[in-house]
Amino acid sequence: MSETRFKALKDLPAQHLLLPGTPMCPGCGGLEVVKQVYDVLGENTVFVNAAGCLTLLATYPFTPFRGSWIYTAMASAPAGAQGIRDALDILIAKGRLPPAQNLDVVVLSGDGAAYGMGLGPTSAAIDRGLDFYYLCYDNEGYGNTGQQTSAATPAGARTATDHGPVGFAGEKKDLFSIWVAHHPPYVATITSADPVDLARKVETARGHAGPKLFIALAQCPTGWHYDPKDTVQMGRLAVATGIWPLKAYAGGRVTHTRRPKPKGERPPVEEYLRAQGRFDHLFSPTRNEEALARIQARVDAYWDAAE
Amino acid sequence: MFRVRFHGRGGQGVKTASRVLGTALFHAGFEVQDAPRYGAERRGAPIFAYVRADRQPIFERGVIVRPDLVVVVDDTLLTLPAAAVLQGIAPHTLLLVHSAQPAEALRAKLKAPGQLVTIAPREVAATGLQPQGAMMTVGAAARLLGVVPRQALESAAGEELAALPAKLRQRSLALTLDGFDGVEAPGGPVRELPAEPAEDYDRPRWIALPFEDARIASPTIYGAGTSMLSKTGLWRVQRPVIDRERCRRCVWVCGTYCPDNAIAADAGGYPVIDYDHCKGCMICLVNCPSHAIAAVVESQAREAAAAGDAP
Repeated sequence: MSETRFKALKDLPAQHLLLPGTPMCPGCGGLEVVKQVYDVLGENTVFVNAAGCLTLLATYPFTPFRGSWIYTAMASAPAGAQGIRDALDILIAKGRLPPAQNLDVVVLSGDGAAYGMGLGPTSAAIDRGLDFYYLCYDNEGYGNTGQQTSAATPAGARTATDHGPVGFAGEKKDLFSIWVAHHPPYVATITSADPVDLARKVETARGHAGPKLFIALAQCPTGWHYDPKDTVQMGRLAVATGIWPLKAYAGGRVTHTRRPKPKGERPPVEEYLRAQGRFDHLFSPTRNEEALARIQARVDAYWDAAE
Repeated sequence: MFRVRFHGRGGQGVKTASRVLGTALFHAGFEVQDAPRYGAERRGAPIFAYVRADRQPIFERGVIVRPDLVVVVDDTLLTLPAAAVLQGIAPHTLLLVHSAQPAEALRAKLKAPGQLVTIAPREVAATGLQPQGAMMTVGAAARLLGVVPRQALESAAGEELAALPAKLRQRSLALTLDGFDGVEAPGGPVRELPAEPAEDYDRPRWIALPFEDARIASPTIYGAGTSMLSKTGLWRVQRPVIDRERCRRCVWVCGTYCPDNAIAADAGGYPVIDYDHCKGCMICLVNCPSHAIAAVVESQAREAAAAGDAP
């Protein structure tokens, strides 16, 4: 990616396409991601939004987008994207739409839909080689309805449905690997706390036809219980502690685009967990050493294997 | 019938407060309706909730337009027309306001026709939302109704707060009871209006929507960027203010991290914050490399702007 036009924050688009006035919470990490991705994709974009927090973006009669947006049921966004892609292709083939006015089709999906009920339809869309972008904003729970546990909820997190002494007892699903197992042209993880890495990945994806899939960490002050001002810090901590690996899959291999410091030198995951109220019960009234050690061991094992 | 309307901001515990009051009235033997009312608004946005309580089944539905008691958890909403706190108040309406301002001064300022009681915030939080205020205020509201025994309030709060972590639950419960014990209404408890005669019934203004083809019946927006018409700046409890002396004009930092796209460069390259839409998350403040952004309490910033010395 040496020819990238994005080398530093200063190189990012200065004009932002997504307009203000949305009903998203103050400090919404998901909104920050969509804003940054939209800037790189540009105006010739049509969004297909699976039900979730971001469906409130376009609440009639308001929309923050410069172009089209359509709302689908949770599992149906890839089908919506297929319909729009087919329609555009037919219009171009018939000469009714100049190729210069072609649009990129982008699915916006929360983790509830992406990791759960929308996974099958996404799998089928990858199988069909649908030419689209899929952006999962992962706030690790059903945030729009009060942060119930989803298939993306991490171990130990307290949610509206797992509020016992251990929080969520399961493990976060590895959606990245599930997608990679389909061998699509491009898969990446991103965070709006590293806008340069994000922009480079979206730029790289543009060079590929077919399914291009992203999982974005969507820091959620409301569901994770931290002050909205700390959204960027929360993303940086996730990367620095190693719990949110920034990586990309292309050409048959996975590359880590940012590496946390080696074991022993990088900050413990505890620093990330302690900053969020959803992990309070792991620290007080007594420290749950067993749970903290288990979460740390998983992160360490990931990076040991990533060599 | 008692008609109680709660006003606050998303994230301040207004929904929980109305539930506590509803449950307490239920324990006291009343038939109860309680409902929070919010749409797509989020944390910081003005929201309201309402409670009806009667000794017989309640057939009235919908938003309360003639409240007997209006409970205001956040006094910065009083001067926000969009919050409609004073809507439908009458001489018999008691206004209970969580505020450090003296009741008489506030009553004069608002030209409130009836009784106004304040309950002073326990700790003066300079910034941010204060969920604890709602608990103290709902305790006071229960007392002012004059029909809720302390025990009914205590068990209702215990039930509604059961999911909270132990420390927060105990603190909230203590504040609820402090609110109950610490309030007085010189003019007596809340008065119920007698039931309105059927002939005064105000018919809902229904709009007939006949069945239409999906191309007509589904909501379609033809304009681009219409969200600009939605003034989310009303949600703000803190205002980020840029000090031009210290600003190094690296607008790609604050402009990139602002989730709401409420920061853009002016002709001189200085970042300018769009206060009509900034929700006051303060991400810009935390990420400003030259520490050129300060947080100002929104109500003070607005008063200063009104006095002509805008920051």
